This record gives sequence, C-alpha cells and structure tokens, in this order.
Amino acid sequence: MPSRIYKAPWFVKAVFIVSFFIIFFVAGVTYKNMSKLSESFDLIEHKYELGVELEQMISYLKDAETGQRGFIITQDSTYLEPYFSGRENINNSFAELKQLTKDNEEQIKFLKKLNILIDNRLANFEEVERFVLKKKNNIDSPNLIPIFLEGKQLMDDIRDKIKIMIELQNKRLEARQEAYGNNLELTPIFLYLVLLLSLLLMIGAYYKIISNLKKLKQTNKQLEIFKESANQSEIVSKYGNWIWNIEEDTFIFSDNLYRLLGEEPQSFKASAANFIQFVHPEDKEKLRKQVEMMMEEENLPYVYYRVIHKNGNIRHLKSYGKTLVNSEGEKRLLGTTTDITDEIENFVKLEQRNFELERNNKELSAFNHVASHDLQEPLRKIQTFLSRLEDKEENNLSESGLKYMSRIKSAAARMRLLIDDLLQFSRTNKADKVFETSNIYLLLEAAKQDLAEVISEENAVIVADTFPAMNVIPFQIQQLFVNLIGNSLKYKAKDRSPEIKITYEKVMSSKEAVLINAKANTYHKIIFKDNGIGFDNEYAEKIFILFNRLHNRQEYSGTGIGLSICKKIVENHQGYIFADGQPSIGATFIIYLPFL
Amino acid sequence: MNEDYIDIILADDDEDDRLFFTDAFEELKITTKVSTYNDGVYLMDYLNSEEIILPNVLFLDLNMPRKSGMECLREIRANDKFKDIAVAIYSTSASEEDIEKTFVYGANIYIKKPDNFKKLKKVLSEVVTINWQYHTNGLNKEIFLLRL
Repeated sequence: MPSRIYKAPWFVKAVFIVSFFIIFFVAGVTYKNMSKLSESFDLIEHKYELGVELEQMISYLKDAETGQRGFIITQDSTYLEPYFSGRENINNSFAELKQLTKDNEEQIKFLKKLNILIDNRLANFEEVERFVLKKKNNIDSPNLIPIFLEGKQLMDDIRDKIKIMIELQNKRLEARQEAYGNNLELTPIFLYLVLLLSLLLMIGAYYKIISNLKKLKQTNKQLEIFKESANQSEIVSKYGNWIWNIEEDTFIFSDNLYRLLGEEPQSFKASAANFIQFVHPEDKEKLRKQVEMMMEEENLPYVYYRVIHKNGNIRHLKSYGKTLVNSEGEKRLLGTTTDITDEIENFVKLEQRNFELERNNKELSAFNHVASHDLQEPLRKIQTFLSRLEDKEENNLSESGLKYMSRIKSAAARMRLLIDDLLQFSRTNKADKVFETSNIYLLLEAAKQDLAEVISEENAVIVADTFPAMNVIPFQIQQLFVNLIGNSLKYKAKDRSPEIKITYEKVMSSKEAVLINAKANTYHKIIFKDNGIGFDNEYAEKIFILFNRLHNRQEYSGTGIGLSICKKIVENHQGYIFADGQPSIGATFIIYLPFL
Repeated sequence: MNEDYIDIILADDDEDDRLFFTDAFEELKITTKVSTYNDGVYLMDYLNSEEIILPNVLFLDLNMPRKSGMECLREIRANDKFKDIAVAIYSTSASEEDIEKTFVYGANIYIKKPDNFKKLKKVLSEVVTINWQYHTNGLNKEIFLLRL
C-alpha cells in the first residue's frame, strides 16, 4: 500500500466505509444463498410429495381395479369395498395433486390430461360394473372383453402419464440443482475471501488509528511544550492573549493577561465587563467605543489605554485583535494585549532628553552667535579708536607707548580673527543646509577672489583640475576652499612661494582603503596638495580638532578653528576629510564627497 | 532737496559710532550736511514730520532699540514719499541673512562697519559719491555689499 494513501486522513474513514459495505454485501449474499438453499429443500420435498401422491394414486387405481376384478370373479360385493374407497381416495389424492402442482404450468397440463384419463378409467370401471350387474355372472360375454381391454389401455396410459410427471419433476429438480450447484459451491470460498479482505482492511485501519494516536500524543506533547514556552514568553515579554467568541460572547484569557492586570491567573471569570473594571476611568469610554467598533468591524486597530491595579499602580496597555473564522463558521476575535508601560516611560524620557538637547543646542548656537556678534562691536571700536590714536597722536607717544600700542593692536587683531572664525564655525552648524547642483569651478574662483589679496602678496600659484557639477551647499564649499587655500598660504615654506595643486577624481568607495565603512558607492575625491611646511603625520587627526594648533602663536597666526570648519563642512556633506603631512615638504588634504 | 551739499542722515543708537561717523565726514573734504538720530523711532518721527528736506543718503544701523533698522527700511520703502532716498545699511554684522533681507526690502547698499578709521572714511566717501542711478532699485546683488 503506498504510504501516501496510508497516511491520508481519509484512509480510516474509507476503510470503515469499505468494510461496512463488504459486511453488508456478505450478509446479503449469505441471506440469498440461505433462501436458495431452503428453496431447493422445498423443491426436493415437493418432488417427494408429488411422487408419493402419484404412486398413491396408482395404488388407489390398482386397488379399485383389483377390487372390481375380485367382484367380477366372485360376485361377492365385499370385494367392491376397496373399489369404492379407492374412488374416494383417488378424488382426495387428485385434489392433493392439484394443490402440489399449482405453480407449474406443465404439470398442470399433465394433471389435466391425467384427470381425463382417470375420469375415463373410472367411467370404464362403471361401465364394467354396469355390464356385470346387468348380465349376472356373464363374464364370458365377448362384449366385456373390449371394455376390459379399454380399461387396461387407460391404466397403461395413466401409468405413462404419471411416469412422465415424475420424470418432469426430477428434471426440474436437476436443472435447479445444476443452476445453483456451482453457486453454492463457490459461495463459501467467496465469502471467506471477502471476509479475509475485510479483516485485512480492518487491521490496516487499526494500525493507522494506533499510529495516529501515537502522533497525536507526540503532537500533544509538543503542544504542551509550546504552550509552556508561550506562557513563559508572555511573562517575559509582558503580553497576554485572549479569545473572544463573538457569537456566544464568551472569553478566554491567558494566565498572563491576569498578571497584566495585577491579578492571580484565572482568579475571576473572563468577560469584557470584568476586564473593563480594571481600565482607568478616563480610558473606559474610549475602550468601550473601540469594543463597539470591534463588534461591527471585527478587526481591532491598536488600542492604547491604562489599567489600574488593585494596589493603585497604573500600567499602559496596548491591544490588538483579529477576527478568525474556523471551519465550523464560528467567529472568534483573537487578541494580544501588551504592557507597554516601560516603553512609554522610556519614550517620555527620551523625548524629554531630546527636547533638552535640542534646547541646549539652540541655546548654545544662539549664545555662540550672539557672543561673537556682540563681541565684535566693542572690539571694532577699540580698533577704530586705536587707528585714530595712531593717526592723531603717534608723534606724541614715547617709544614704549608706541610699542604698547602695537601690542594692543595685534591683540585686538587676534581677537577679531577668533571672533570671525567662531562666527563662521557657528554658521556651519546651522540647520538650514540647502543642497544645490553647483559649478565647483565657480566656487573655487570665488574662494580665490576672497583671498585675492594674500594670493598676490605671496605670489601663490594655484592649479586646479576641472570638476563636474556637484550637489553641495555652495557657500559652505566655497568656505572650505577658502579655508584650505588660506591654510596653505598661512603655513607656506619660507624659502619658496606657495604652490597649491587641486586634483579631482571620481572613485568607488570599495576601491579606497579609507572608505571601508562609507555609506555611498561613489565619491568625488578632491586633493589639495601644497609645498608648505607640512606637519608630522602624528598630528594628522589632531589638526581637525577645534582650537588645536601645532604651532606657536608668534610663528603662525592661527586660531585652530579653520580646519575644524573644514571638517564640519565635509561632514555636513556626509563626506570625509583626511590630512597627510610631510614635514618641510608639504601637506595634502584629501576630501571625499558622496554623489548625491 | 538741496543741490549745494549732500544731505546725510545716520540712525544709530551707538554714541561712539555716531562720533566716528560725524568725525569722518568732517575730515572728508565733501560738502555734506550730516544729522544723526539715536534710534528708529526718532528717525521716522523726523522723516514723517511736515516740511522737511528729505536727505540724499540715509545710513541705517540694523540693531537699534525700539525700532530696528529693518523696520525703518520697510516703512521707508512702503512710502512713496521717500522713494528718492538712497538707503545704506550700516551694520556691525554682515550675516548672509541680514544682507539678503535688506536687499529684498529695498536697501541700496550694505556697509559693514570697518574697524579702522581710515577705511571708514574711504567707505563713506565712496558711498556719498556713488552714482546712485546705478544702485537704485537694487537690481544688482553682486555690488550690493560694499567690499573694500
């Protein structure tokens, strides 16, 4: 038997149906054979009875014949007694025969002929009797001989007819026996085989049931384990399940749902009314409305509400339900309720922190802006007054006075530089960063324009590749160029005029070792290479840190903000900036800007 | 309007700046008449009073108490009576935002207060001798911010 069929769920059912029909069939066949058997028996009995009756008839006729003959010879009327009783018996016997042959047309025909013959024979008897009584003892009369002969003739005919009738009956029996003989012989084997098959099927079904039972047990075991693990996960993840049979309005609550309400598992009857008792008064109406909506839509969106435990704790819950219709057409709402108190608390905390952070940031930015802005005004006045002092009173000052004044001037100039840089730094922090497809060459030219004075003073040479259009924040990129070129000009070597080479390349992040963790696939790679004093690569990262300087103020006038601004600008573009220095040979700045 | 001298008004709340301003014009060999106002309210009161001679050039500080330079600018440009006054913004800040806004509101030129008296004189002499025809209507943003 192919195991696929054996495993089919309808198998047992089919086996039982087949077995049922087999047994039904066997019962039918048996009944039929039994009735045929009894029919055959009846037939044999019938034949026997018919035979006996016919023999009896002959016997009665013979008795009558013998009685008559005796009377003819002896003239003693006592011999006639069997003759008279014979006649009566013949009539009775004939009635009996009629009864026995009533279901056989052929026999009835023969019986009718026999009847005529018997009537003729009896008539012959009467004729002989009349003849004998009329002519007393005249048995030698030649007239009697033909009558007598006729009697014999009739008697022979009767015998013949009876013989034929008995033979006919025998034939009928034989034919019947032949017809049913085979059948009857095969029936036991057939029945045996059919029963055997049925038995086999039953055994198969039995094994199937046993194996199903085993599987059921195993599945049950797994289900038990699963239930336990579901229970555990409900406790750990703080959720509970409920099933609402909508038509019967009955509920099943999982153990943990009770715990979510701060109660012992199954400590009260699961019902909507009992559940709502725990709901926070302010949320009751909302939940009720949602439940009503559920009744109509049978699909519950997330519902958020609070419950109050008996000890006064307030917990936040979230519920979700979904309608399922099972094979019997029963509608059930399967729901999950989760305790989200911790999440909400965390969320509130996070929101608060975010808010604080945002406020701090704003304050800081405003402070930065206002401070540097407002600092400018007094400084500008100091510088302007200084310039007036220089113009008007220079001749009236002593040498040390002049020296002090120049010191004040340089201090003021430095302060101006710091303020300007700080202002710029705070400006690169601002949120309104508008990306535009920009002509980088124009931005570089604008940067060069900003620095035109210094560039011509230093006889600097700036060589640049061509750039494709890039999607950037234009004023920031210009600032980046200004700062980088300014940086190169500031840290120029004393023995040669500055040369800055700017090259462009389009690169794949996978090909660049420093871009291993880069988000974009392709980057614009811009390299600024100068022939200045360079720096020790030890400081390659440090130089981008705010207020970090590698040199003494007397040697080089830097604020330590310029490169921090560069880094910030590049980061605003989700790019990367790296520095590479060779002391007294030059510095290289590599910028990667993603394709946006 | 007077043809013999250039009528100049400065609205600035800072005493020192007003001093620098008047000193600078005194030292410049240009025939000017300079008057100063301490804030936007005083300025607008003067401009709105009857029978006055409107100035040729108005220097506006942006950050002033009571009424800011920006508010004054808007009022002035909203009034057809003042359409011939050249407005120069005269501010400590040169933030993109301020430059953009004042340009849009119809100022003619933007000057960042210099930190050197010589530069100040240079700027002021340039501004008052400018061909205002060129700067009117603020059509050219490139030359709006006066670079030195």
